[in-house]
Amino acid sequence: MKARSVLDRIYLASTVLAACCLVLICLVVAAQVAGRVVDTLAGAVGGNRPGLYVPSAAEFTGYLFVAASFLALAGTFRHGGHIRVTLLLSRLGGGARHRFEIGCLVFAAVFSGFFCVHSILLAFDSYAFGEVSVGLVPVPLWIPQGFMALGLFVFTIAAIDDLACALRGGRPSCQESADTPLGENFTVPEASGDPAAGSGGHLKKTRNRNTSWTRPS
Amino acid sequence: MDPAVLTVLLVALLIAFLGSGVWVALSLFGVAAVAVAAFTPAPVGQLVAVTVWGAGNSWELAALPMFIWMGEILFRSRLSRDLFTGLSPWVAGLPGGLLHVNILGCGLFAAVSGSSAATTATVGRLSLSELGRRGYDEDMTIGTLAGSGTFGLLIPPSIILIVYGVGTDQSIVRLFIAGVVPGLLVIALFMGYVIAWSLLGGGRGAPSATENTGLGERLRAARNLIPVVALIAGVIGAIYTGFASPTEAAAVGVVLSLALSWLTGSMSRRVFVDALMGATRTSCMIAFILCGAAFLAVSMGFVGIPRQLAEWIVSMGLSPALMLMALTVFFVILGCFLDGISVVVLTTSVILPMVEAAGIDLIWFGIYLVLVVEMSQVTPPVGFNLFVLQSLTGRDIMAVARCALPFFLLLAVAVLLIALFPDIVTWLPGRMAG
Repeated sequence: MKARSVLDRIYLASTVLAACCLVLICLVVAAQVAGRVVDTLAGAVGGNRPGLYVPSAAEFTGYLFVAASFLALAGTFRHGGHIRVTLLLSRLGGGARHRFEIGCLVFAAVFSGFFCVHSILLAFDSYAFGEVSVGLVPVPLWIPQGFMALGLFVFTIAAIDDLACALRGGRPSCQESADTPLGENFTVPEASGDPAAGSGGHLKKTRNRNTSWTRPS
Repeated sequence: MDPAVLTVLLVALLIAFLGSGVWVALSLFGVAAVAVAAFTPAPVGQLVAVTVWGAGNSWELAALPMFIWMGEILFRSRLSRDLFTGLSPWVAGLPGGLLHVNILGCGLFAAVSGSSAATTATVGRLSLSELGRRGYDEDMTIGTLAGSGTFGLLIPPSIILIVYGVGTDQSIVRLFIAGVVPGLLVIALFMGYVIAWSLLGGGRGAPSATENTGLGERLRAARNLIPVVALIAGVIGAIYTGFASPTEAAAVGVVLSLALSWLTGSMSRRVFVDALMGATRTSCMIAFILCGAAFLAVSMGFVGIPRQLAEWIVSMGLSPALMLMALTVFFVILGCFLDGISVVVLTTSVILPMVEAAGIDLIWFGIYLVLVVEMSQVTPPVGFNLFVLQSLTGRDIMAVARCALPFFLLLAVAVLLIALFPDIVTWLPGRMAG
């Protein structure tokens, strides 16, 4: 398999894992509420409250949220999902803009690598000292912390990947448009006109994803 | 080093980071890392890892992806059409007619979604073409949409209020409930403006109110909205009564939205995957900014800037009113270049002690901040609602901004009203149990 497709699969796998964490959050919390509804109803009809609840639900939810947030970093990055201010960048000419882009990617790669190393150290410390969560179910802390480190690791790879692409003169994937993220970073393909001209907001306005970095090798 | 010089240095560094296009989250991390490394003996790497782990690992924050996911599901359902057909017969008789569908539709969608861009897009998708076909004034159609889309931020569930609540250690429940009355107030202001505009002879060529229909037909048209209204009532009711926390209400909201979408036939494998992946990415983007902000807050605490800013403000003896005026101008300018969430996290990590020192209620300040951020959603050059409408209508962003100007001013009126009558914000949460 080509290196390109292996890397893309890694990013996708990481994002899918993050999505699974969100589904798990939903299931755990919904189960918790369902248990309470049954309890309340049982209490209301005068029966015994069966005391249904998900042990340590709040802690599991927090861990899953961290895992989801970090595992999705690379995929979101490659999707152009992380917001940035391109107000000034978009006013620059091609060459200067490209140099700024490389600078941003160097910073992203270096910082995420640094962050990754220290999150591995954090997880390792938790492992070495046998730290567990304080709740009913003692979860070894290195597991959720390990997912945080893993997500940062994949993110670092993605940043280096984009940096390599930019250094070879290509257009890094993080400049591509996201399809329909519906947060405040809702990105929509521009309806008309030259993407580089006009308003110059910090949204990326390219229609053609998957064009620049899938190059024949 | 002199704290004033230090502050100026770090602010300049932040501007340099953001201006050169470094991602917002990474810019926050970068400034914080430099501040810690240069001005304190603390180990940067360890501090980053520990702070981010502590901030991210949170039960409250888990409400964020759930509410985003719920909005993503409903955005992809047939709610857009149901809102239009269900609301039209009710408002057709009012002066201004179907323009009110934009306002009320946004208000309803805002109550299931925490995002203003999603709100604008969902309602605008259908109403822009429908109102255009019926000869409504295009400027007014765009203006009402741009303005009303911002309700997504204020009317609970609100992503940005979760961000504020977690950043300031305030109860998200109280913030949500505090947003209800101001939300209704802004809806009333907008509708009042449309009515006045219409009565004063605006809208040349706007259709006359011939679309008036009987009550039976109105109810029939609205029956498709019943599940959504029930969903809204369920989510907000559960939070208000304290039966469920925001996170729990959000997760149940996701389950119910999935069921609703499936029952109305708009669910498919593709819709499910798209909604889930969209929610995963958006929530990741916001979470990463929050992590950056958490680290910035800790590092600023180490360096001591927020405390010094607070002392400085107190020593100046500014009245709260003057300070709020200055802050409003500051936020509106900041909002011209940054998105709402970044404005809020910068506020919570740096300016908050100053606000506290001035004796301002933090729940009230949250709602105030969100209203000001709403204003910034419709100011060029970076206003997210403007981008959405630009892409929906194909009109230039400055033209869209001009259409939105009256609604920007109405939001400013709302800010003034809650400043003069703080009870608008604090009354409802004050009546809550507990």
